Order: sequence, then C-alpha cells, then structure tokens
Amino acid sequence: MKLVDIIGFSVQSLRSQRVRTSLIVLAMAIGTGGVVVLTWLGDAARQYVVGQFDALGTNLVIVLPGRNETTGAAPPLLGETSRDLTLDDAFALLRSPAIRRIAPVVVGGAMVSFGNRSRETTVLGSTSQLLPVRRLELAMGRFLPDDREAGEAVCVLGATVRRELFLQQNPLGEFVRVGDRRYRVAGVLASAGMSLGTDLDEMVVLPVVAAQALFDSPGLFRVIAEATSKAAVPQAVADVERLLTERHEGENDVTVITQDAVSSTFDGILQALTLAVAGIAAISLVVAGILIMNVMVVAVTQRRAEVGLLKALGADARTIQNLFLGEALLLSMLGGATGLALGEVTSRVLPHFAPVLRPGMPGWAAGAAAIVAIGAGLVFGTAPARRAARLEAVDALAKH
Amino acid sequence: MRSRSTDMRTTDGMQLAFSAVRSQPLRSVLTALGIAVGIAAVVLLTSLGTGLQRYVLKEFTQFGTNLLAVTPGRKTTFGMSGSMINSVRPLSIEDAQALASLPHVLAVSPTVFGNVPVEAGGKSRRCMATATGSAMPEVWRFAVAQGRFLPPDDPRSARAFAVLGHKVWRELFGDRNPLGEIVRIGGDRYRVLGVMEPKGQFLGFDLDDSVYVPVGRGLEMFDREGLMEIDVLFTSESVTDQVAAAVRRTLIARHGVEDCTVTAQQQMLDVLGSVLGVLTFAVAALGGISLVVGGVGILTIMSIALQERIAEIGLLRAIGATRTQLRWLFLGEAAALAAVGGTAGLVVGAGAAWLLGAFVPALPVAITPWQIVLAEAVSLAIGLIAGVLPALRAARLDPIEALRTE
Repeated sequence: MKLVDIIGFSVQSLRSQRVRTSLIVLAMAIGTGGVVVLTWLGDAARQYVVGQFDALGTNLVIVLPGRNETTGAAPPLLGETSRDLTLDDAFALLRSPAIRRIAPVVVGGAMVSFGNRSRETTVLGSTSQLLPVRRLELAMGRFLPDDREAGEAVCVLGATVRRELFLQQNPLGEFVRVGDRRYRVAGVLASAGMSLGTDLDEMVVLPVVAAQALFDSPGLFRVIAEATSKAAVPQAVADVERLLTERHEGENDVTVITQDAVSSTFDGILQALTLAVAGIAAISLVVAGILIMNVMVVAVTQRRAEVGLLKALGADARTIQNLFLGEALLLSMLGGATGLALGEVTSRVLPHFAPVLRPGMPGWAAGAAAIVAIGAGLVFGTAPARRAARLEAVDALAKH
Repeated sequence: MRSRSTDMRTTDGMQLAFSAVRSQPLRSVLTALGIAVGIAAVVLLTSLGTGLQRYVLKEFTQFGTNLLAVTPGRKTTFGMSGSMINSVRPLSIEDAQALASLPHVLAVSPTVFGNVPVEAGGKSRRCMATATGSAMPEVWRFAVAQGRFLPPDDPRSARAFAVLGHKVWRELFGDRNPLGEIVRIGGDRYRVLGVMEPKGQFLGFDLDDSVYVPVGRGLEMFDREGLMEIDVLFTSESVTDQVAAAVRRTLIARHGVEDCTVTAQQQMLDVLGSVLGVLTFAVAALGGISLVVGGVGILTIMSIALQERIAEIGLLRAIGATRTQLRWLFLGEAAALAAVGGTAGLVVGAGAAWLLGAFVPALPVAITPWQIVLAEAVSLAIGLIAGVLPALRAARLDPIEALRTE
C-alpha cells in the first residue's frame, strides 16, 4: 500500500465517524491550545520582566552599602551601616577606566506641597547623571544642574506629583515645599509608569547634597555606575571593590550587584515557572492521548471484518499496523493543528486587552506543541495498531 | 407497591449500567484512566498549594496575631516606602514610648536594622544588627537560649550590652560560652548578655545571623534619627481595631499630621491568605484542563456505546422501559465511569502527595477532607455532564427503528 493510499484510507474512515472524530480533535485541541497559550503567557511575562531590567539602563553596576557574610542570602537592601557610603566614595569610582558615569542615590519620604495641596511622596537625591544612567526622559524644563557638589534648591517632579500638585498649571519656576524647605521646579519627568515595583511618576528628584541636608544624613542609599561596555562590567565590579576597600581602611564592606546578574536570575526563574506551568497543562495532552488510544481500540474491534478482508486480500501485518497508526496520527495532528490555531488566535487577541503582553507565539512553542501532539498520536496509537495487525484473517472474518 | 417496584427498577438499572461498564473492560479502564489522570493532577497540585499556604501562614503567625506594626511614611501596602530609609518626620523612640502607655498595649518594640561588622577574639563577621527594645523577645515570640535579653534601660542612654543570634555565636565563638565576653559591633565595644535560640529566615532576613543591641545605640551607630518600625503587642485579637485607632490618634497628635502607616498582623495574614488561595485555585484550574479533556473522553466513549447498543435500547423500550429510565441508564454509566476514575485518581494523587511529603520534608503538602470530597464531586459532575448528550439521544430513539437496525 502506498502512503497516499494509507492517508486516503484514514481520511475516509475518520469522515465516516464525524462525531467521534470531532470529539477527539476537540480533546486534543484543548490540550495543545492550553499548553501553547500558557507557554506564550509565561514567555510574554518573562520578556516583560527582562525588558523592565533592560529599561533600567545598560551595563549597570549597583553599589549598596553593607555586606552579608553568607553568600546567597539577601543583600543588605535597607542600606544602613556603621560606615556610610559617602558622596566622595561615589565620585572616587570615576577613577576606574571601566566606569563611564555614576549617579549617587539618596532615598527618603517627605511631604511635598504647593499652595494648599500636599502629598506624601518618595524623594530621590541624585545628580544630573541620573538622567542618562537611569534612562529617564524629561517632559518639560531641565534636569538637575551639572554642578555635582552644589546643593542648589531646585527639584524635578515626577508626572503624578506634577499632576496632583499643579493640575493644569505650568509648574516651571514655581516653588514647592519638600519637608520644611523650598525648591524651585526646574523640570518635569516624562511619565514612565511602574518600574520593578517603584512608581517613577510618584517621585521628586532633588540634588543629592540638598537631599542629604533635608534628611540630615550623609550616607548614600545606592550608587549606580554605568560601565563603558558589556565586556567592561567585570572590570568595573573589581575596580569598585578595590577602590572602596582602599577608601574604607582596607575593609570590603559594600555589596556590588550587576544588572546582568539580577536580570538573568529573574530570567531563569521565570523560564522555570513557564516550563512548570506548561508541564501541568501538558497532562491534558496525556489524557487526550489516552482517549485516542481508547477510540482506536474500539475501532479495531468494530472493524475486525474489514481487517480480515484486507488480510485475505494479501495485506501484511505491517500494512494493517500502518493503517491504524496513520489514523491515530491524523487525529492527533488535526487536533494539534486546531489547538495551535486556537493558541495563535488567543495570542493575537489577548494583547489588545492587556497591552503588556507581546502578541505572537514564540516559534519554539509552536514547534514543541506540534511535536508533542504527533508524539501523543504515535505513543498512544501504536498499541491498538499492533492489536489490529495481530488479528488472524480467518478468525477476523469468521467472528462476524 | 408502586414505589417498591420502581426501587427494583433502580437497582436493576444500576446493575445494567455496571454490567455495561464491565463488558468492555479495556475501554472502561482507559476511559476511567483519563479522568483518573486529571483528578490525580488536581489533587496533587492543590495539596501542594494548600501546603504552601499553611506554611506561609505559619511563618507569619509565629509572631502572633495580636500584633501591629507602625512604619514611617503613608503609602506602604506591601512595598517599602522611601520613608523607611529616610524621612523628614521620623518615628522616634519617644513615639514608641508613648504607644507603650496606651490601653490594651502589652509591649512595644522599636526597631532599626543595619549591616555591621562584628568582631570577637580575632574573628570578624559582617551581619545584620537589629537595634531594639527590651520587650523584643515577648513581642516577636523569640526566646533567649542562654543568658538573658537586653535590660530595660533608658533607651537614650542604654548600657553597651548585646545579645547574639545563634549563627553569629557559632561563627564567632564556636562552642565557647560567650556570656560576659566583649564583642566589637560597628567599632564599639559591647558586653554579651545572652544568645537567642535558633529561629531561621523570615522574609529573607536571617534572624540567627544578627546581633541585638539597644535601640538608642543602634540609631547612633547608623547615624540616623528615625526608627524603621515599631511593633505593638496588645492583649487580644478582638481589640485590634481599637488599638490601631488609638495608635493612629496618638501619632497624629504627636506629629501634627498622619505620616505613618499602621498595619495589623491580622490584616496582613488576611491579604496573604487570599493571595495564596487564588494561587492555589489557579494551579488547580490548570490541572482542571485535563479534567475537561477527560470529560470529552467520556462523551466520546458514551456516544460510541450508544451507536453500538441501538438494538439493545430498542429491545429495552419494546419491553416497557420508559425514556426517563433509558436516560438514567446512560447517565448512570457515564457517572459510574467518572466516579471510578475519580476514586483511582484521588488515591494516586493523595498517595503521590503523601510520598512527596515523606521524602522531601522541605516541601509542604497538605491533604484536606474537603479536597477529597471536592475531587469526587467534580469527577461525578464531569461524568454526568458528559453523559447528558448521549443519554438524551438514547432516550429519543424510536424503539421500532432501533430494533430494525440489527
């Protein structure tokens, strides 16, 4: 029997049992569709998070005051130590040839008010370099002045703070009160939304010296350094540790985190999560496979006479096996294709409602789903096909 | 009499359904297997989810539910407010003292954390320093293993005493008795008063890898004015709202404006519990996809059975079986298949969960009675739903036509 004949035969027998065929295709499609959609969702979430990290800047090296002895434990995120990371420490990092620019960061909370409106917000102290390092954009006005040591009384508002305090009014040149001091508004940041849990719009940026004075605290919360290139990041990390150890009387008491390390950790976690979720959904493919097997077993019993006739006409065991296996494969492929199509449609439609998700299935997910669907057909179709092949022609014809 | 005869027919019907299931053993086993795989997956996943939920809640309730936390800054829900790091109007030790005198309040523990070098006898270690008050062991339910905790000194001029976390003691002193020894914390000399019992990690903070010093000294060491948190222990859960309101009132009176956040432990537990509940449900729903597929399997097999047994149905109708009885016959067969599959799945799923729990003790698993009931109910429901269409078609068959097909 030729391949074309086998396929023709299978198609014919599937068409003669429309209800049965469509139910199996449905079962297989639910399974494949589930796996494909969940893989796509997981992948979209992963890309979103990685994108968030990339949006922070490029080749960033983040320096935190304090260090924990236990490796693998959480870094000292709150940033209080017996020896502060100072502004001089931060600028000393520029001596490293591997570091292009740095932005010191002081963080705190304060009441910000204009006229009779006031709002509790996050206050960020930094220098003019924060803008390029952290890839922020201005909506209007200018950023902080370039003179890094000057505690000039200016500030830059986040989009939400501007809206809440000034409504439609032009804020440039006006004075806002932060804590108990007055600052002239130099500019407004473009709306950037949430980034890794911090709302960049709900923020007021002051010159770092002014923020230190406001909070009466000389210590920096972080120093963000930008390495000259991706290849220079390890060098930058080594330089930071060396320079700060020298400045801190020979004691290494800072934690250095690279953007790449954090981003790839999250990447790995989310990838594992996606695989786990897709794996759970893949259980339904096993169930669909069992159904194919079941129906093929039924088909073999129902078509004993047909098998007997084929054998009597000279078909060998192999041909019979191929016939039934072909039918099982056709079923699983039909179901897989329907599931893929369903998944593809979902991945195109859903992003219209949740723009965070990237539309379009990753190619490997589609490929994997197709392979798994065909695999299910093969694995669960083999046993019934063998059963059919083992039938004796005489018995098969006689029994009916 | 009439009711008795219908009783007979019901049992007959059940027998008929079961004999139909038995007459095609392979087919029935495969159909039930489909449901069994789905139920096993759902049972295993929900027992992992429930276990995780219990584990997390236990982590939080170890501090008790009659507890509330005051943090600087107004907008912290779960995230950290910038005010925890620096604030123009910090929470002071005096604020904590004022809260201690409120009605229903048993104890108050002001806290500042930081990272410091600790040295003793030529060894040194960088770890967390928790600056707190003398009531900390009571508030956090954290017992002292050796010696005693910090004395109730005046917080602004406390003596230089320190208590070591379990891990710090092991790292710096090995097995030696540290009581009375001098340690250097952040450059200053402290006398060791006690060692805490091991408590482990909490939210990423290793409470054993920490030294405990008086709060006033901590503020000096970190050169800051404000506390990061004040924990308030009160008499019982029933007065939570009252105490929270009193704390808020007191702080507004002292600061002039509302610039702190008061979070009751109970509130936190509720939020956490519902988040984890949703998560468990989501994972169960993922496993539920296979149940739907299993249901489609029952539907397929039942429609095949219908086709094969048209003559039988005709005969049954000819000898007086009603449409209702035929409907129930098919529904019963579908439900029986699903119930058998469901039971098998339950046994396998619960067994796997139990084995996981026994061999990987770090993995929290929990099997609850409602899970068992729900799994059985869901599999029965799937069987019934999947049986409806074939049952209706069987009932609609015309007996004469049906008999003729033979």
